[in-house]
This record gives sequence, structure tokens and C-alpha cells, in this order.
Amino acid sequence: MSDDLVKILEGNTFVVSDERGDIEASLTDPTGLFSFDTRFLSKWVLTVDGQRLNALSTDDLQYFETRFFLVPGTGTVYIDAKLSVIRQRAVGDGFHEELTLLNHDETAVDLEVRVEAASDFADLFEVKDALQKKGAYYSRVEEDRLVLGYERETFSRETWIAATSPCKVDESGLTFRVHIEPHGEWTTDLHVVTANAAWGETRDRPKYERHAKAARPNLEYGLEKWLDDAPKLQSDWEWLKMIYTRSLVDLAALRFAPMTSGGRSLPAAGLPWFMTMFGRDSIFTSLQALPFTPELAATTLRELGERQGSRCDDFRDEDPGRILHEMRYGEMTAFEERPHSPYFGSVDATPLYVVLLDEYERWTGDAKLVRELEYEARAALAWIDDYADLMGDGYIWYQRRNEKTGLENQCWKDSWDSISYHDGTLPGFPRATCELQGYAYDAKMRGARMARLIWKDPAFADKLEKQAADLKRRFNRDFWVEEGGYFAIARDTDGRKVDALSSNIGHLLWSGIVDKSKAKSLARHLMSSRLYSGWGVHTLAEGEGRYNPIGYHVGTVWPFDNSIAAWGLRRYGFKEEAARIAAGILDAANFFAGRLPEAFGGYPRAITKYPVQYPTSCSPQAWSTGTPLLLLRTMLGLEPIGEHLVVDPALPQGIGRLELLDIPGRWGRVDAFGRGRVDVDKKPRARQQLGVLGYEKRARNRARKS
Amino acid sequence: MSDPTKQFFADLAARGHVPLLKSSSGTLRFDLAGGGRTAHWYVTIEKGDVSVSHDTAEADCVVRSGKELFDRMAAGTANATSAALRGLVATEGDLRLIIQFQRLFPGPPRTCADRGEAGYARRPT
Repeated sequence: MSDDLVKILEGNTFVVSDERGDIEASLTDPTGLFSFDTRFLSKWVLTVDGQRLNALSTDDLQYFETRFFLVPGTGTVYIDAKLSVIRQRAVGDGFHEELTLLNHDETAVDLEVRVEAASDFADLFEVKDALQKKGAYYSRVEEDRLVLGYERETFSRETWIAATSPCKVDESGLTFRVHIEPHGEWTTDLHVVTANAAWGETRDRPKYERHAKAARPNLEYGLEKWLDDAPKLQSDWEWLKMIYTRSLVDLAALRFAPMTSGGRSLPAAGLPWFMTMFGRDSIFTSLQALPFTPELAATTLRELGERQGSRCDDFRDEDPGRILHEMRYGEMTAFEERPHSPYFGSVDATPLYVVLLDEYERWTGDAKLVRELEYEARAALAWIDDYADLMGDGYIWYQRRNEKTGLENQCWKDSWDSISYHDGTLPGFPRATCELQGYAYDAKMRGARMARLIWKDPAFADKLEKQAADLKRRFNRDFWVEEGGYFAIARDTDGRKVDALSSNIGHLLWSGIVDKSKAKSLARHLMSSRLYSGWGVHTLAEGEGRYNPIGYHVGTVWPFDNSIAAWGLRRYGFKEEAARIAAGILDAANFFAGRLPEAFGGYPRAITKYPVQYPTSCSPQAWSTGTPLLLLRTMLGLEPIGEHLVVDPALPQGIGRLELLDIPGRWGRVDAFGRGRVDVDKKPRARQQLGVLGYEKRARNRARKS
Repeated sequence: MSDPTKQFFADLAARGHVPLLKSSSGTLRFDLAGGGRTAHWYVTIEKGDVSVSHDTAEADCVVRSGKELFDRMAAGTANATSAALRGLVATEGDLRLIIQFQRLFPGPPRTCADRGEAGYARRPT
């Protein structure tokens, strides 16, 4: 999506328009008013006396509100307008648009103001895949309201459009005859309502109306409290504060309150196209944000738990105990042309659910939630053994049962070519990727802790620990590529190692499944020039058959992936390496004005000098937003031990001072301080970069000496 | 039994306690229209303890659908969530209850599950 499009949203309702505020979408064009995965407006064009308007500026007031300043006429270098137009738009159950015309002339004017409206009611999946509609459209004028509708059997969606000033309504828009005195103004309110979005309830007004400040408490005012509740950060590397604040604000925008949560939020996966519940993304982001906003984890656990799989359903790849992958509400889901009602085709969300529950309790001391979700956690642990072991050999495997519309790769690297042998060939299915085994190990170990301490079931704890120890022993034997000194990315059905070197080894360190004796070799690989670009660890190592520095999962750097690697390196005591990963990613974040993209190019830093963004449709992306938060944790070495928070800082070169104040947890609120080295190669007025300069300097010095 | 809906509710009543619903409490009323009449079923959940009746009671969540569709949901041949998205199931009141409850419907009848078909777990021998 190009960046000059304006996006505002609330919940899963959002508007993407051009800089004039107009919408003119073709089927595959991602602009419009969307709600519950359906486009409710594909055309929304404002004209004055038949003329399109021209944008002077756009003012993003909030993530749910924008103001457009416009003048008539097409763009020229010099504009001498006697008329200006202001559109102020707030999203919520459709949108509310305040339209104001100002006459700057000394004479009165009579104008015709027209808003053209239409909707193709496309499902998000149709926008993505350019599919044609199967139902019928209608539009009708009801009193002073224009109704745009779509119907397919019993499925119907309607958009209602009305204005507060007198106007002529026809089937394709609203026309206003406007008289404005000299230096006078004219204004009206346009109401665009997503009248029946998903579950059949009908509404006739948008959420926000003019001056209705009291009616918008949840997001605008919530943001202040959100920032206020989060720990405070101080650092001598000034960009860190900017990155931190950006992360918190973006995380606030990514909050999504499912209809069943009583207003509590969990992190959606990305804005705007992934404003829905995702198992994997919601869990990882909650993990990253735990030291800052632990309530996200609680809501994620509750809501995913309530939708945990309960039966075998091949179309949805559902099994009892399985945690969902993605929920959608559009037409294709309704007619079972897509399986997202919800779809369960991810194999990592289920063990990670148990990991998050345990980590959440370790931070917050909220044993009550662990008791509340005992059934769900046990069901998730049982799923690992009963449903994920497709080969009967004690490992987690995946193979979709929905061959038509299910996901082929059900791990986080879900593109078609992400899992390969060294020579670039692809293994068949089922596949057992290595990080899944680590998650399963961690889930069992953490499940054992909860069983022993909270569920008071020592026999179950013993069983889980025994299983975990056995899994670890076998894994270190079966996945280890002896000649390379690393773990294979996967195991195939013949028991062969899928022997590419990949970033997945970072997740293995995080999970704890790695034998101590093997950890050093993994740390060395992660920091080697084959995997580490200077900005971060790329998904696949240079020299692998499918390596491509701009390949989605075969060479780009994923900030989220790196935050997990840094966490893993800390777990095994590699503080300096973890700090270097933090340095590279945070420095990249600085290039992206604090907002890390989903992924960026894996080109070596020495060559590109700046991180090359990978074209991606969603920004901010939840687990990229969570990345700086987790990196703060790893730099400060924050670890809850018993009732206390242990702080063991290891800061990258370039950060001399790092303070995180009021970290919430079972200890109440505590502060963490870190001191580090600042001896970077800083030229006068040059931007002080993290890590790399000192590192390069040392390398240069070494080269000079030898 | 030729009436899957009746069978479904009978089985549910016989189970008494349903762990899946252990964090739910409240009464659901199902209004199932078919054959010129509307049958009312009440399911009361108290932290997973379930009772079923036809008695009139205050409902926290009202669910309306055709009897024929409910038969299919009870037999696992129709999915409640996608049916609701198609406008075939109307709900009113506490949505959480019905989202929890619909998980009690069985999955589609399968024939391959226990024969080690692709995508199903193999048991160690």
C-alpha cells in the first residue's frame, strides 16, 4: 500500500482514502470503508460545482480521526482559491464526516456540492485475490437516506448514508444546493453507517458525531491513560525514547476488543488488514509486551481460550485443544469459500498459548487466571501429543487437511518456499520444523511448573517433565547437523534433516531445548556474516540454495524474529551477542522513524548503509511493534525470579544509560537501571549509531594490526 | 433417533457437567422455527453445570434459527459461525454464551480420522 494513502481506524472498521479524502476503488484496489472484513464504500467522491478538489494538507488528529484541507480545482503550482473545503472524518460503526465550505470572497456564492457514493461490498479476500461477486446489488432512496445494499441468499450487508442539511438524495449520491454569504461558511454532517456488519444487529448512526467528545472515551482518552500506565524510559541515546513512545502508541492503535471481551483488548496482527484475532501474532506480541502492558496477555489468553478448538473439522483444520489461527467475518467466510470461521491452521499457537500463560503468571503473579484456564492449558498440552504428532514419533508435525484453502506452511514462516534443504529443494509433507519442537518442549516445562505450583498436580508435572526431557534428548540427536554445528530447519518424513541454516535456531535458544554444549555454536552462527547483516539476523543464511536478501522468509530480516533470538541468547548467557542484535534492530528502527516494518532486506549493512524496506501491506505490524519492547527487556536482562524482578543489564555500544521506571509485576512497580559503554565513533553532528561503528572500528583496528 | 436436535439436547442434559463451559454462567434460549411452529429450548449453565428444559425462563442470550438448520448443526453438517455470518442464526443478548456454546456442536462426520489419513496423528505402535 502506498504511503500517501490516508488510513484511519477503530477496531476492525477502517477507512483508506486518498489525500483528498476521496475513495475510488477498483475491485483489487485496497481503498474504501471496511468493517468486519467487508468493504462498505468503494466510492466516496466530493465535488463542488462538478469540480474535484485538491489537497492542501492532511492532518492526522488521531488514528481514528483525520482532517483534510482542500481547495477546488486541479493541482497547479499556484492556488488562489476563493473557497476552501474542510472534511473532518472520524471512524466508528462507519464514519462521521463534517463537511465545511468557507467562502473567502467579498461576494456571496451559490454552489452545488455533490458526494458520489457506491459500494462493491467486496470481502477482504476478494480484494486480495481479485474475485468476482456472486450476489446482487441494490440501492434505494429512503426518505432522506441513501441505502446501498448487497444480497446473496440470506447474506446481506447495507451502507446507510444521510446528511444533517437538506439535500437531494438519488441512488448514487447526495446533492446540496449551497448559498454562502461573503466570508461566510456552510457546514453539514455526513453519516455513513455500516448498518449490518456481521451478526445481524442493525445500527442507524455512526459511533461519533459532531462535538460528541463524551462519546469517544475508549480510544482517544484511553491513549493517555495507556501511555501513563506504561513504564517510563530514560536514556542518553535519545532516539530510544522516540522508538519506545512510537511502539506504545502503535500498540494502542493495534488493540482490538473482540465482541465478547467486555471491552478488554488484545493485540491484533497488523493495521489495517489484519485487525482481527490471530493466534500466533496475538500471543507473540503479548509476550513481547508483558513487562509493559501485561493486560494484553490476559485478554489474549482468555479470548483465544474461549475459542479453543473442540472438535475435528477438516475444512477448518480444527482439533480439540487447538488454538485458532485467524478469525474473519466476510462473505467468503460466511459461505465457507474460506475457512476462517475461525481457521485453526497454525501449529505453533497451541504450545505458545501454554508458554504465554506461564510467562504471564511469572510476571504478574495472577495465579487466578492460571487456575481459570487450567482446562484450556491442559487441552493445549494434550493436543501436542494427541493431534500434532502426525508421524507418531514424538515430534510436532503439520500437514493441512483443507487441501483447497488451508495453509500449507503452518509455522510462522508460512510462505511456500520458506522450508528448504541446503540445496534449495523443498521437503514434502508433513513437516516438522525445528522451532516447533522447541515450543513444545517449553510448553511442557512450563506446563509442569504450573501443574506443580498452581494446579497442585505433581503427577502431571512429573509426566510433563519426563516427556520434555525425552523430547530434548531426541531433538538434540535427530535435528543436529553435525558437520555444520547447528540445528536443521526441519525434519522430513524419512527422518532426514532438512539441513538449511536459518534464523529458527534463535527460537530454539529461546525455548531452552538446546543442550548447553551446543549453544555456543548456535550463538556463533547467529552472529556470523552468513546470518547477521549488521542490522539483524536474516531468516535464511547466505549460501543456502534459496537465500535471497529480499525473499520474504528466505533472506529478509524480521525484527520480531530478532527479538526472540536476543531473548534466546540471553537465556543461554550470551549477553554481548544479545546486545548486538538489539543495537542493530533499534538502529534500523531509527531509520524507520521508530516504526519497524514487518521485514526489511537482508543486505549487509556495510553495503546499503540503511535498512531497505520490504514492500508490505500492513503498518504498523503487531510483533514488529512489540520488538523494541522485548529488546528493552533483553538489554536490561529483566527476569522474574520468584517474587522479584532480577535486573542484569548488558547494553550495546552507544547506549551509556538506560532506565526503565515503574515496571509493573507481582512485585508492584520497580525500576531497572543499566549502564554501558558509549565509545562509538561519533563524528561531529553525525547521527550516533548503535553498535556497528564501534564494532567496525574494532574490526578495522584488528585489520591494521595484523 | 431421527431428530438430531432432540438427541443433541438429550445428550447435553445427560452430561450434566461440561468442562468446556466451566467459565460460563447464564441461560440460553433457542427459538427453532419449523413445521409452522417454534420450539423453545432453554439451556441453563452454571459454571459448566448444564440443565435443559422447555420451561419459560429469563434468557441472557436468545438464539433464533430454523429447526432444519439446527438439526444440521446438531449433526455436525452445518457450522454455526458461518451460518450466523450468512444471516441464518440471529442472536440477541450475551454473545459470549453462544460463542462458548456452539463449541459443543460436533464436527462434520468423518470416516478417515482413525485410519491415519494425511493430517491426522499416527499413534506410536
